[in-house]
Amino acid sequence: MLEREVIQSVGFRNRKEAGTVTGFQFKVRLPYYRGVFLCQLRPGTLYVDGEAFKKEEIVWNIGGRDYTYEEMKENMETHWAVTEPAVLKVQKESGLSQGFHELTYGFCFTSSYMPPVMQDALDPDEECMVFMAEFGHHVNHRRLLMV
Amino acid sequence: MYQYDWKGPKRGVALYSYSAEFGISKNLEDCFEDLYDMGAHGLEILANTHIPGYPHVSEAWLDQWFALLDQYEIVPVEYGNWIDSHILGSRELTTRESYEMLARDIKIAAKLGFTVMRTKMPVISDDLAPVKNWREFIELALPLAEEHNIKMCPEIHIPTTLNAPMIQEYVEFIERTGTKNFGLNIDFSVFRNVFGENEYRPEGFEPSKPEELVPLLPYIYCCHAKFNHMNDQFEETTIPYPEIIRVLKEQNWDGYLLSEYEGADKYSPGYEVGQTLRKQHIMLKRLLGD
Repeated sequence: MLEREVIQSVGFRNRKEAGTVTGFQFKVRLPYYRGVFLCQLRPGTLYVDGEAFKKEEIVWNIGGRDYTYEEMKENMETHWAVTEPAVLKVQKESGLSQGFHELTYGFCFTSSYMPPVMQDALDPDEECMVFMAEFGHHVNHRRLLMV
Repeated sequence: MYQYDWKGPKRGVALYSYSAEFGISKNLEDCFEDLYDMGAHGLEILANTHIPGYPHVSEAWLDQWFALLDQYEIVPVEYGNWIDSHILGSRELTTRESYEMLARDIKIAAKLGFTVMRTKMPVISDDLAPVKNWREFIELALPLAEEHNIKMCPEIHIPTTLNAPMIQEYVEFIERTGTKNFGLNIDFSVFRNVFGENEYRPEGFEPSKPEELVPLLPYIYCCHAKFNHMNDQFEETTIPYPEIIRVLKEQNWDGYLLSEYEGADKYSPGYEVGQTLRKQHIMLKRLLGD
Protein backbone atom coordinates (compact mmCIF):
# COMPACT_ATOMS: atom_id res chain seq x y z
CA MET A 1 0.00 0.00 0.00
CA LEU A 2 1.08 3.57 -0.62
CA GLU A 3 1.19 6.68 1.51
CA ARG A 4 -1.46 9.25 0.70
CA GLU A 5 1.12 11.97 0.02
CA VAL A 6 2.59 11.99 -3.50
CA ILE A 7 6.17 12.16 -2.20
CA GLN A 8 6.57 9.00 -0.15
CA SER A 9 8.58 8.90 3.08
CA VAL A 10 9.65 5.31 2.50
CA GLY A 11 12.40 5.13 -0.11
CA PHE A 12 14.14 8.41 0.76
CA ARG A 13 17.83 7.61 1.16
CA ASN A 14 21.30 8.20 -0.22
CA ARG A 15 22.53 5.90 -2.97
CA LYS A 16 25.88 4.15 -3.02
CA GLU A 17 27.91 2.94 -5.97
CA ALA A 18 30.90 0.72 -5.16
CA GLY A 19 30.70 1.80 -1.54
CA THR A 20 30.67 5.53 -2.25
CA VAL A 21 27.62 7.76 -1.90
CA THR A 22 26.93 9.22 -5.35
CA GLY A 23 23.44 10.61 -4.96
CA PHE A 24 20.03 10.17 -3.38
CA GLN A 25 16.59 8.85 -4.24
CA PHE A 26 12.96 9.25 -3.24
CA LYS A 27 9.67 7.76 -4.40
CA VAL A 28 6.53 9.35 -5.78
CA ARG A 29 3.10 7.87 -6.43
CA LEU A 30 0.91 8.86 -9.35
CA PRO A 31 -1.92 11.08 -8.04
CA TYR A 32 -4.30 10.25 -10.91
CA TYR A 33 -7.11 7.74 -11.20
CA ARG A 34 -5.44 5.79 -13.98
CA GLY A 35 -1.92 4.78 -14.89
CA VAL A 36 -0.03 6.58 -17.65
CA PHE A 37 2.39 5.61 -20.37
CA LEU A 38 5.80 7.22 -19.90
CA CYS A 39 5.39 9.59 -22.85
CA GLN A 40 2.37 11.12 -21.09
CA LEU A 41 4.57 12.30 -18.22
CA ARG A 42 5.72 15.91 -17.99
CA PRO A 43 8.43 15.87 -15.31
CA GLY A 44 9.46 19.17 -13.75
CA THR A 45 12.21 20.58 -11.59
CA LEU A 46 13.16 19.17 -8.21
CA TYR A 47 14.14 21.50 -5.36
CA VAL A 48 15.89 20.14 -2.30
CA ASP A 49 16.36 22.86 0.35
CA GLY A 50 16.26 25.36 -2.51
CA GLU A 51 18.86 23.62 -4.70
CA ALA A 52 17.40 22.96 -8.16
CA PHE A 53 17.80 19.74 -10.14
CA LYS A 54 16.59 19.98 -13.73
CA LYS A 55 14.31 17.34 -15.25
CA GLU A 56 17.23 16.06 -17.35
CA GLU A 57 19.17 15.31 -14.14
CA ILE A 58 16.49 13.01 -12.71
CA VAL A 59 16.31 9.33 -13.65
CA TRP A 60 12.93 7.65 -13.18
CA ASN A 61 12.86 3.98 -12.23
CA ILE A 62 9.57 2.34 -13.14
CA GLY A 63 8.93 -1.38 -12.86
CA GLY A 64 12.59 -1.91 -11.95
CA ARG A 65 14.01 -0.14 -15.03
CA ASP A 66 15.76 3.22 -15.30
CA TYR A 67 14.53 5.87 -17.76
CA THR A 68 16.08 9.23 -18.52
CA TYR A 69 13.93 12.22 -19.43
CA GLU A 70 14.84 11.73 -23.10
CA GLU A 71 13.98 8.02 -22.99
CA MET A 72 10.54 8.68 -21.51
CA LYS A 73 9.51 11.25 -24.12
CA GLU A 74 8.72 8.75 -26.88
CA ASN A 75 7.99 5.66 -24.74
CA MET A 76 4.36 4.69 -25.28
CA GLU A 77 4.81 1.04 -24.28
CA THR A 78 5.88 1.28 -20.65
CA HIS A 79 3.04 1.95 -18.26
CA TRP A 80 3.28 3.48 -14.79
CA ALA A 81 0.57 2.09 -12.51
CA VAL A 82 -1.19 4.06 -9.78
CA THR A 83 -0.37 1.31 -7.31
CA GLU A 84 3.41 1.29 -7.91
CA PRO A 85 5.61 4.17 -6.79
CA ALA A 86 8.30 5.44 -9.15
CA VAL A 87 11.83 5.79 -7.76
CA LEU A 88 13.50 9.08 -8.68
CA LYS A 89 17.27 8.97 -8.67
CA VAL A 90 19.48 12.04 -8.57
CA GLN A 91 23.26 12.23 -8.81
CA LYS A 92 24.84 14.41 -6.12
CA GLU A 93 28.32 14.05 -4.81
CA SER A 94 28.21 12.59 -1.25
CA GLY A 95 24.38 12.70 -1.33
CA LEU A 96 22.23 14.61 1.13
CA SER A 97 23.29 15.38 4.68
CA GLN A 98 21.81 13.80 7.77
CA GLY A 99 18.71 15.57 9.04
CA PHE A 100 15.62 17.29 7.65
CA HIS A 101 15.26 18.17 3.96
CA GLU A 102 12.56 20.14 2.19
CA LEU A 103 11.60 18.47 -1.07
CA THR A 104 9.53 20.24 -3.72
CA TYR A 105 8.80 18.40 -6.90
CA GLY A 106 6.34 18.92 -9.73
CA PHE A 107 5.19 16.63 -12.50
CA CYS A 108 2.03 16.25 -14.54
CA PHE A 109 0.74 14.20 -17.45
CA THR A 110 -1.37 14.55 -20.58
CA SER A 111 -4.89 13.18 -21.14
CA SER A 112 -6.16 12.78 -24.70
CA TYR A 113 -9.77 13.08 -23.57
CA MET A 114 -9.34 16.59 -22.15
CA PRO A 115 -9.71 19.67 -24.38
CA PRO A 116 -6.43 20.49 -26.21
CA VAL A 117 -6.35 23.99 -24.69
CA MET A 118 -5.92 22.40 -21.25
CA GLN A 119 -3.20 20.07 -22.51
CA ASP A 120 -1.18 22.83 -24.13
CA ALA A 121 -1.11 24.80 -20.90
CA LEU A 122 0.35 21.98 -18.77
CA ASP A 123 3.35 23.12 -16.74
CA PRO A 124 4.78 20.72 -14.16
CA ASP A 125 6.45 23.53 -12.21
CA GLU A 126 3.31 25.63 -11.79
CA GLU A 127 0.13 24.69 -10.02
CA CYS A 128 -2.73 24.25 -12.51
CA MET A 129 -4.94 27.35 -12.88
CA VAL A 130 -8.09 25.34 -12.30
CA PHE A 131 -7.17 22.68 -9.78
CA MET A 132 -8.97 19.39 -10.40
CA ALA A 133 -8.57 16.92 -7.56
CA GLU A 134 -8.41 13.85 -9.75
CA PHE A 135 -5.40 15.14 -11.65
CA GLY A 136 -3.57 15.81 -8.38
CA HIS A 137 -1.39 18.78 -7.56
CA HIS A 138 1.39 19.45 -10.03
CA VAL A 139 3.77 20.65 -7.35
CA ASN A 140 4.22 18.57 -4.21
CA HIS A 141 6.14 19.31 -1.01
CA ARG A 142 7.35 17.13 1.77
CA ARG A 143 9.80 17.48 4.65
CA LEU A 144 11.70 14.27 5.12
CA LEU A 145 14.46 12.92 7.31
CA MET A 146 17.69 11.54 5.94
CA VAL A 147 19.51 9.14 8.24
CA MET B 1 -18.53 -17.95 -14.15
CA TYR B 2 -21.21 -16.32 -12.01
CA GLN B 3 -24.41 -15.33 -13.86
CA TYR B 4 -26.96 -12.76 -12.70
CA ASP B 5 -30.31 -13.48 -14.29
CA TRP B 6 -32.33 -10.38 -13.31
CA LYS B 7 -34.03 -8.84 -16.38
CA GLY B 8 -34.21 -5.08 -16.80
CA PRO B 9 -31.98 -2.38 -15.35
CA LYS B 10 -29.43 -3.92 -12.95
CA ARG B 11 -27.13 -2.47 -10.33
CA GLY B 12 -23.38 -2.25 -10.68
CA VAL B 13 -20.44 -0.07 -9.66
CA ALA B 14 -17.69 1.61 -11.62
CA LEU B 15 -14.51 1.12 -9.60
CA TYR B 16 -13.43 4.58 -10.74
CA SER B 17 -15.51 5.73 -7.74
CA TYR B 18 -12.82 4.37 -5.40
CA SER B 19 -9.98 6.20 -7.12
CA ALA B 20 -8.97 8.23 -4.04
CA GLU B 21 -8.66 5.05 -1.96
CA PHE B 22 -7.46 2.44 -4.44
CA GLY B 23 -3.88 1.39 -3.72
CA ILE B 24 -3.84 3.47 -0.52
CA SER B 25 -6.45 1.92 1.75
CA LYS B 26 -8.31 -0.48 -0.58
CA ASN B 27 -7.28 -3.17 -3.02
CA LEU B 28 -9.34 -4.87 -5.70
CA GLU B 29 -10.77 -7.46 -3.32
CA ASP B 30 -11.85 -4.78 -0.82
CA CYS B 31 -13.79 -3.06 -3.61
CA PHE B 32 -15.39 -6.37 -4.65
CA GLU B 33 -16.48 -7.09 -1.09
CA ASP B 34 -18.04 -3.62 -0.88
CA LEU B 35 -20.07 -4.44 -4.01
CA TYR B 36 -21.07 -7.77 -2.51
CA ASP B 37 -22.32 -6.00 0.64
CA MET B 38 -24.47 -3.78 -1.57
CA GLY B 39 -25.80 -6.65 -3.67
CA ALA B 40 -24.41 -4.96 -6.77
CA HIS B 41 -23.49 -7.56 -9.39
CA GLY B 42 -22.17 -5.42 -12.25
CA LEU B 43 -18.59 -4.24 -12.47
CA GLU B 44 -16.72 -1.62 -14.41
CA ILE B 45 -12.96 -1.47 -14.14
CA LEU B 46 -10.51 0.92 -15.69
CA ALA B 47 -7.93 -1.04 -17.64
CA ASN B 48 -5.11 1.40 -16.90
CA THR B 49 -5.90 1.34 -13.17
CA HIS B 50 -7.12 -2.02 -12.01
CA ILE B 51 -5.09 -4.53 -14.06
CA PRO B 52 -1.67 -5.13 -12.50
CA GLY B 53 1.01 -5.01 -15.18
CA TYR B 54 -1.29 -3.41 -17.78
CA PRO B 55 -1.07 -3.55 -20.81
CA HIS B 56 0.13 -7.09 -20.07
CA VAL B 57 -1.95 -9.65 -18.19
CA SER B 58 -0.34 -12.54 -16.35
CA GLU B 59 -1.93 -15.98 -16.18
CA ALA B 60 -1.50 -16.01 -12.41
CA TRP B 61 -3.48 -12.79 -12.07
CA LEU B 62 -6.18 -14.04 -14.44
CA ASP B 63 -6.76 -17.02 -12.14
CA GLN B 64 -7.13 -14.68 -9.17
CA TRP B 65 -9.45 -12.44 -11.18
CA PHE B 66 -11.91 -15.21 -12.02
CA ALA B 67 -11.77 -16.60 -8.48
CA LEU B 68 -12.66 -13.16 -7.06
CA LEU B 69 -15.53 -12.69 -9.55
CA ASP B 70 -17.00 -16.03 -8.45
CA GLN B 71 -16.46 -15.44 -4.76
CA TYR B 72 -18.19 -12.05 -4.78
CA GLU B 73 -20.83 -12.90 -7.44
CA ILE B 74 -19.67 -10.24 -9.83
CA VAL B 75 -20.30 -9.95 -13.56
CA PRO B 76 -17.57 -8.15 -15.53
CA VAL B 77 -19.69 -5.67 -17.47
CA GLU B 78 -17.71 -2.73 -18.71
CA TYR B 79 -13.99 -2.31 -19.35
CA GLY B 80 -12.86 1.30 -19.36
CA ASN B 81 -10.25 2.01 -22.01
CA TRP B 82 -8.80 5.08 -23.66
CA ILE B 83 -7.76 5.73 -27.21
CA ASP B 84 -4.93 8.07 -26.29
CA SER B 85 -4.15 9.46 -29.75
CA HIS B 86 -2.47 12.52 -28.25
CA ILE B 87 -0.14 10.40 -26.16
CA LEU B 88 2.98 11.74 -27.88
CA GLY B 89 3.36 15.45 -27.45
CA SER B 90 5.08 15.75 -30.81
CA ARG B 91 2.41 14.30 -33.14
CA GLU B 92 -0.99 12.66 -33.23
CA LEU B 93 -1.09 8.87 -33.57
CA THR B 94 -1.95 7.53 -37.02
CA THR B 95 -5.25 5.75 -37.58
CA ARG B 96 -3.36 2.45 -37.57
CA GLU B 97 -1.62 3.22 -34.26
CA SER B 98 -4.91 4.27 -32.65
CA TYR B 99 -6.50 1.06 -33.91
CA GLU B 100 -3.65 -1.01 -32.46
CA MET B 101 -4.13 0.60 -29.05
CA LEU B 102 -7.84 -0.19 -29.26
CA ALA B 103 -7.25 -3.75 -30.51
CA ARG B 104 -4.94 -4.46 -27.58
CA ASP B 105 -7.74 -3.49 -25.17
CA ILE B 106 -10.43 -5.45 -27.02
CA LYS B 107 -8.36 -8.60 -26.55
CA ILE B 108 -7.69 -7.96 -22.85
CA ALA B 109 -11.33 -7.04 -22.19
CA ALA B 110 -12.53 -10.30 -23.75
CA LYS B 111 -9.93 -12.31 -21.87
CA LEU B 112 -11.28 -10.88 -18.60
CA GLY B 113 -14.87 -11.74 -19.54
CA PHE B 114 -16.12 -8.22 -20.33
CA THR B 115 -18.74 -7.60 -23.02
CA VAL B 116 -18.84 -3.79 -23.16
CA MET B 117 -16.01 -1.30 -23.41
CA ARG B 118 -16.26 2.34 -22.33
CA THR B 119 -14.11 3.53 -25.19
CA LYS B 120 -12.89 7.00 -24.37
CA MET B 121 -12.31 9.02 -27.51
CA PRO B 122 -9.53 11.57 -27.82
CA VAL B 123 -11.03 15.05 -28.23
CA ILE B 124 -10.17 18.08 -30.31
CA SER B 125 -12.35 20.85 -28.88
CA ASP B 126 -13.72 22.36 -25.69
CA ASP B 127 -17.10 20.73 -26.34
CA LEU B 128 -15.36 17.32 -26.43
CA ALA B 129 -15.79 16.58 -30.16
CA PRO B 130 -13.90 13.37 -30.98
CA VAL B 131 -10.88 13.30 -33.31
CA LYS B 132 -11.72 13.48 -37.01
CA ASN B 133 -10.59 9.92 -37.80
CA TRP B 134 -12.69 8.17 -35.12
CA ARG B 135 -14.85 6.43 -37.73
CA GLU B 136 -11.77 4.99 -39.39
CA PHE B 137 -10.20 3.35 -36.36
CA ILE B 138 -13.55 2.18 -34.97
CA GLU B 139 -14.46 0.65 -38.32
CA LEU B 140 -11.08 -1.09 -38.48
CA ALA B 141 -11.81 -2.57 -35.03
CA LEU B 142 -15.35 -3.79 -35.72
CA PRO B 143 -14.39 -7.30 -36.96
CA LEU B 144 -12.12 -7.88 -33.95
CA ALA B 145 -14.82 -6.60 -31.58
CA GLU B 146 -17.36 -8.92 -33.21
CA GLU B 147 -15.01 -11.87 -32.93
CA HIS B 148 -14.55 -11.14 -29.21
CA ASN B 149 -18.21 -10.26 -28.50
CA ILE B 150 -17.33 -6.71 -27.42
CA LYS B 151 -19.44 -3.57 -27.77
CA MET B 152 -17.35 -0.40 -27.87
CA CYS B 153 -19.22 2.51 -26.32
CA PRO B 154 -18.15 6.12 -26.09
CA GLU B 155 -19.50 7.74 -22.94
CA ILE B 156 -21.95 10.63 -23.29
CA HIS B 157 -21.25 12.96 -20.38
CA ILE B 158 -22.03 16.55 -19.37
CA PRO B 159 -21.53 19.08 -21.07
CA THR B 160 -22.74 16.88 -23.95
CA THR B 161 -26.49 16.20 -24.00
CA LEU B 162 -28.61 13.65 -25.85
CA ASN B 163 -29.45 16.07 -28.68
CA ALA B 164 -25.79 16.89 -29.45
CA PRO B 165 -24.53 16.53 -33.04
CA MET B 166 -21.96 14.02 -31.71
CA ILE B 167 -24.79 11.57 -30.84
CA GLN B 168 -26.31 11.96 -34.30
CA GLU B 169 -22.93 11.12 -35.81
CA TYR B 170 -22.55 8.02 -33.65
CA VAL B 171 -26.08 6.86 -34.51
CA GLU B 172 -25.50 7.46 -38.24
CA PHE B 173 -22.33 5.38 -38.00
CA ILE B 174 -24.18 2.52 -36.29
CA GLU B 175 -26.98 2.61 -38.86
CA ARG B 176 -24.64 2.84 -41.85
CA THR B 177 -22.46 -0.07 -40.72
CA GLY B 178 -25.32 -2.04 -39.14
CA THR B 179 -22.90 -2.93 -36.36
CA LYS B 180 -23.84 -4.48 -33.02
CA ASN B 181 -20.32 -3.85 -31.74
CA PHE B 182 -20.44 -0.09 -31.31
CA GLY B 183 -22.96 1.81 -29.21
CA LEU B 184 -23.34 4.29 -26.39
CA ASN B 185 -22.79 4.54 -22.65
CA ILE B 186 -25.06 7.28 -21.30
CA ASP B 187 -23.78 9.01 -18.18
CA PHE B 188 -26.74 10.34 -16.18
CA SER B 189 -24.96 13.69 -15.77
CA VAL B 190 -26.75 14.61 -19.03
CA PHE B 191 -29.99 14.77 -16.97
CA ARG B 192 -28.62 16.94 -14.18
CA ASN B 193 -31.19 19.66 -13.50
CA VAL B 194 -30.00 21.11 -10.18
CA PHE B 195 -26.70 22.93 -9.61
CA GLY B 196 -25.64 24.44 -6.30
CA GLU B 197 -24.47 28.04 -6.06
CA ASN B 198 -20.78 27.20 -6.15
CA GLU B 199 -21.05 24.29 -8.55
CA TYR B 200 -19.89 24.44 -12.13
CA ARG B 201 -22.67 24.51 -14.68
CA PRO B 202 -21.35 24.45 -18.26
CA GLU B 203 -22.34 27.55 -20.20
CA GLY B 204 -25.66 27.11 -21.99
CA PHE B 205 -26.18 23.62 -20.55
CA GLU B 206 -29.81 22.48 -20.79
CA PRO B 207 -30.33 19.03 -19.29
CA SER B 208 -31.76 16.24 -21.42
CA LYS B 209 -35.16 14.80 -20.50
CA PRO B 210 -35.34 11.10 -19.54
CA GLU B 211 -37.81 10.50 -22.44
CA GLU B 212 -35.04 11.44 -24.87
CA LEU B 213 -33.44 8.11 -24.03
CA VAL B 214 -36.16 6.15 -25.81
CA PRO B 215 -35.00 6.38 -29.45
CA LEU B 216 -31.39 5.72 -28.36
CA LEU B 217 -32.07 2.67 -26.18
CA PRO B 218 -31.34 0.09 -28.92
CA TYR B 219 -27.78 1.46 -29.01
CA ILE B 220 -27.25 1.87 -25.27
CA TYR B 221 -25.36 -1.10 -23.86
CA CYS B 222 -24.81 0.27 -20.36
CA CYS B 223 -25.19 3.47 -18.37
CA HIS B 224 -23.16 5.37 -15.83
CA ALA B 225 -25.41 5.94 -12.85
CA LYS B 226 -23.79 9.28 -12.08
CA PHE B 227 -24.79 10.85 -8.77
CA ASN B 228 -23.81 14.07 -7.06
CA HIS B 229 -25.82 14.57 -3.88
CA MET B 230 -27.50 11.77 -1.94
CA ASN B 231 -29.52 13.03 1.01
CA ASP B 232 -30.14 11.02 4.18
CA GLN B 233 -33.55 10.01 2.85
CA PHE B 234 -31.60 8.20 0.10
CA GLU B 235 -32.71 10.53 -2.69
CA GLU B 236 -30.49 11.99 -5.37
CA THR B 237 -31.30 15.70 -5.38
CA THR B 238 -29.74 16.78 -8.70
CA ILE B 239 -30.71 14.05 -11.18
CA PRO B 240 -34.32 12.84 -11.74
CA TYR B 241 -33.71 9.16 -10.95
CA PRO B 242 -37.35 8.01 -10.52
CA GLU B 243 -38.18 9.29 -14.04
CA ILE B 244 -35.04 7.80 -15.61
CA ILE B 245 -35.65 4.37 -14.06
CA ARG B 246 -39.35 4.52 -15.05
CA VAL B 247 -38.39 5.09 -18.70
CA LEU B 248 -35.83 2.26 -18.66
CA LYS B 249 -38.30 -0.17 -17.07
CA GLU B 250 -41.22 0.79 -19.33
CA GLN B 251 -39.04 0.27 -22.39
CA ASN B 252 -37.80 -3.11 -21.08
CA TRP B 253 -34.21 -1.98 -21.31
CA ASP B 254 -31.95 -4.75 -20.10
CA GLY B 255 -28.53 -3.67 -18.91
CA TYR B 256 -26.37 -2.40 -16.08
CA LEU B 257 -26.41 0.94 -14.30
CA LEU B 258 -22.85 1.42 -13.10
CA SER B 259 -22.58 3.83 -10.18
CA GLU B 260 -19.95 6.43 -10.73
CA TYR B 261 -19.19 8.99 -8.05
CA GLU B 262 -17.20 11.88 -9.47
CA GLY B 263 -17.48 14.36 -6.58
CA ALA B 264 -14.13 15.96 -5.80
CA ASP B 265 -14.83 15.55 -2.07
CA LYS B 266 -13.91 11.87 -2.40
CA TYR B 267 -10.28 13.04 -2.43
CA SER B 268 -10.67 14.74 0.97
CA PRO B 269 -8.86 12.93 3.79
CA GLY B 270 -11.25 10.68 5.68
CA TYR B 271 -13.92 10.61 2.98
CA GLU B 272 -15.40 7.14 2.51
CA VAL B 273 -16.85 6.71 -0.94
CA GLY B 274 -18.23 3.27 -0.05
CA GLN B 275 -20.75 4.91 2.27
CA THR B 276 -21.83 7.33 -0.48
CA LEU B 277 -22.21 4.41 -2.90
CA ARG B 278 -24.32 2.55 -0.35
CA LYS B 279 -26.70 5.49 -0.07
CA GLN B 280 -27.18 5.45 -3.82
CA HIS B 281 -27.67 1.69 -3.85
CA ILE B 282 -30.44 1.94 -1.26
CA MET B 283 -32.16 4.35 -3.68
CA LEU B 284 -31.52 2.15 -6.73
CA LYS B 285 -32.60 -1.02 -4.96
CA ARG B 286 -35.89 0.62 -4.01
CA LEU B 287 -36.47 1.96 -7.53
CA LEU B 288 -35.52 -1.27 -9.31
CA GLY B 289 -37.18 -3.63 -6.84
CA ASP B 290 -34.34 -6.15 -7.03
